[in-house]
Amino acid sequence: MRFTDNDTFARDIHSLVNPIEAIAPDRPVSEVAELFLSPDYAKVLSLPVVENGRPIGVISRYRFMDLYLKQYARELHGRRPIRHYINDRPLLVELDQPLTEAALHIAEHMSFPLTEDFIITRHGKYLGLGYVMDLLKAMESQMRANSNELNQAYSRLKSSQLALVQSEKMASLGQMVAGIAHEINTPLGYVQNNVAVGQELFIHVKNMIAGYESLVDNLLNEQANEEEISAQMAQIAAMRQDLNAEEMLGDMQGLMVDSLYGIGQISELVMNLKNFSRMDAAATEAINLNDCIESALNIGRNVLRNKVEIIKELAELPKLTCTPSQLNQVFLNLFTNAAQAMETMGRLHICSWYDEHAVHVSVSDNGKGIPQENLVRIFDPFFTTKPVGEGTGLGLAISHQIIQQHGGEIHVESRLGVGTDFHISLPFAVGNAAENRQSTDFE
Amino acid sequence: MSKPTLLLIDDEERILRSLRMLFMTNYNVRMTTDPHEAIRILREETVHVIISDQRMPVMQGSALLAIARETSPATMRILLTGYSDLEASIASVNEGEVFRYLMKPWAADEVRQVVAEATAIAEASFAVQLQAPAEPGKEEKKPRVLIMDNDEFISKTVSDILGDRCEIIWANTAQHAMEELAKQDISVVVSDLVLGDTNVGYILKTIKQLNPQTQCIVVTNFNDTSRLIDLINQAQISRYLPKPLNKNSLARNLDSMLARFHTLRSQPVLANRQTVAQISDPKEKLQSGNFMGMLGRLRARIGV
Repeated sequence: MRFTDNDTFARDIHSLVNPIEAIAPDRPVSEVAELFLSPDYAKVLSLPVVENGRPIGVISRYRFMDLYLKQYARELHGRRPIRHYINDRPLLVELDQPLTEAALHIAEHMSFPLTEDFIITRHGKYLGLGYVMDLLKAMESQMRANSNELNQAYSRLKSSQLALVQSEKMASLGQMVAGIAHEINTPLGYVQNNVAVGQELFIHVKNMIAGYESLVDNLLNEQANEEEISAQMAQIAAMRQDLNAEEMLGDMQGLMVDSLYGIGQISELVMNLKNFSRMDAAATEAINLNDCIESALNIGRNVLRNKVEIIKELAELPKLTCTPSQLNQVFLNLFTNAAQAMETMGRLHICSWYDEHAVHVSVSDNGKGIPQENLVRIFDPFFTTKPVGEGTGLGLAISHQIIQQHGGEIHVESRLGVGTDFHISLPFAVGNAAENRQSTDFE
Repeated sequence: MSKPTLLLIDDEERILRSLRMLFMTNYNVRMTTDPHEAIRILREETVHVIISDQRMPVMQGSALLAIARETSPATMRILLTGYSDLEASIASVNEGEVFRYLMKPWAADEVRQVVAEATAIAEASFAVQLQAPAEPGKEEKKPRVLIMDNDEFISKTVSDILGDRCEIIWANTAQHAMEELAKQDISVVVSDLVLGDTNVGYILKTIKQLNPQTQCIVVTNFNDTSRLIDLINQAQISRYLPKPLNKNSLARNLDSMLARFHTLRSQPVLANRQTVAQISDPKEKLQSGNFMGMLGRLRARIGV
């Protein structure tokens, strides 16, 4: 097999041209036969026959074999012009034809066994000969390059999808953490201030006690100077004037109670975060789904407060084996979406119940509803109606996937101006689904 | 002499009790969790300083402070919030016109200092007759409006709005802007936060030190809450308008800022109401110092 010089990147017909000298149609058969024996033509299957610059046919070795197998063929045909023996319907390819198109043309018209090369022309004029094997090789390397490109594009797509999923997680996490951080600021504000105020009061009271003590010491001291004592008494009176210690200490006591309450609040917020992320718990666990709902409500409180009134109808539920941190994420996503769908103060109705197969949760809001054309795409990755930068469009896609991984189902129904219902069912038997969980895109 | 009055509003009573303890020695402290009650107090009593929370169920703090502006214009307004959201901080500039935007948790000493400063300013404001400003006299020269923006479009829009009532100067470099400001006769500055590749925060923060009467309108698509809060406290910008620009809103605000400039010129003591806090960023502090130094030299040259 012969390759063109730059066989690895034979991207066009140009690189396939072999400038084989064409033969004139009047050359005698015997001369042409001699040519085939010359080492210059050792590799060609056929020779081009060209008249006035235009190819009129090819003559192949195979044809000679056919011809010369007959008795006296040399004597009978040797002197006749080659014109009468050629295949006058050669394989023709134009120089500027795309490689793929040329390959297609040749594949359609070539004969088996392969006995002829193809002719390359420029504007219909003979340019050179092309070898079918070279063309195949070029095609193969082009396909390999294409598939490399495809692979690269695929892995780029995959990594950007992963990055987006990650950014969705970070965005919702960031929003949540920002909310919690802000919520912590209020108790932190008064606890810190109370400590600062207490510290100042402490110094005042300490000075006051020191004043009283030295007065008492002097009063008990028989040699004490009367003038000094009355100066001390005046000083104490002045201090009492400045600061009503008894009242202040009483108030301070109240602030201590407040501070303890505030610290309790901060602990609770931190606990909620911990429960929600479940960083210290097993990934898969048998739990009551109501706990996930409550955890998501605690975390989302900051977004939900002042936007929705929450009505819960949670039935006593049997435990379900699942990945609680993921289901927390699903519920938080549904709750915050609902809050965002509210134009005024709305209602969020959360129900849970179970039957013999599954635990069910419905999340219904009385927000503005979702138009039908959006409803069918609601679980599609990257589908979002939020302004650019405010949503990745992955929230519900991820939720959908999480529910599927649990072997469950999530459905949505919506009516414009009435509200939207999400219904989730999670089957008790999730063994297979749980085992298949590793091989998902969204992890 | 009776103690100055401080009015505290927060939906968390514990915040109120805590702040009361901080201020009760030196102030007559009034406090409530109900914004409507706060409005009643503002109407009926002399309140020197009001400190309000932002997020409350009944009313946003910025909205309450906007009402306070109408009800008791001499009262100094401070927002104390745990939430640094952009919407709230923009509203606190444009509606509440706050003296300071403070964050929870706060440093006791800092809040005490801010309140003391605000109280002194409020006392001066109450002492001044809040009279309507006289119409600008004919002999007075046209107000000068400085546009600091890369885009000439803003300058053209301002020209469209103001016509020949004002002289419009367009500066698209920090150097040019500083030279114009050195002349000290700019009434209103309309500025983006970036000029060329210079962050002009420090220029805005220096303006009030040069000329306390100059009013700054920031027009930008830059949305960084913490930078905006810095601009409220350290530059006392008067308005923060988003790009793309709403021409009507700009026109309205230009009018009210030109009017305010005029008022402050006739009653300079009121300019103290926009006293700025110290620049906190060390780099900006240095830039501001250099700018002031350069001004000294410029003024000597042009003989202001």
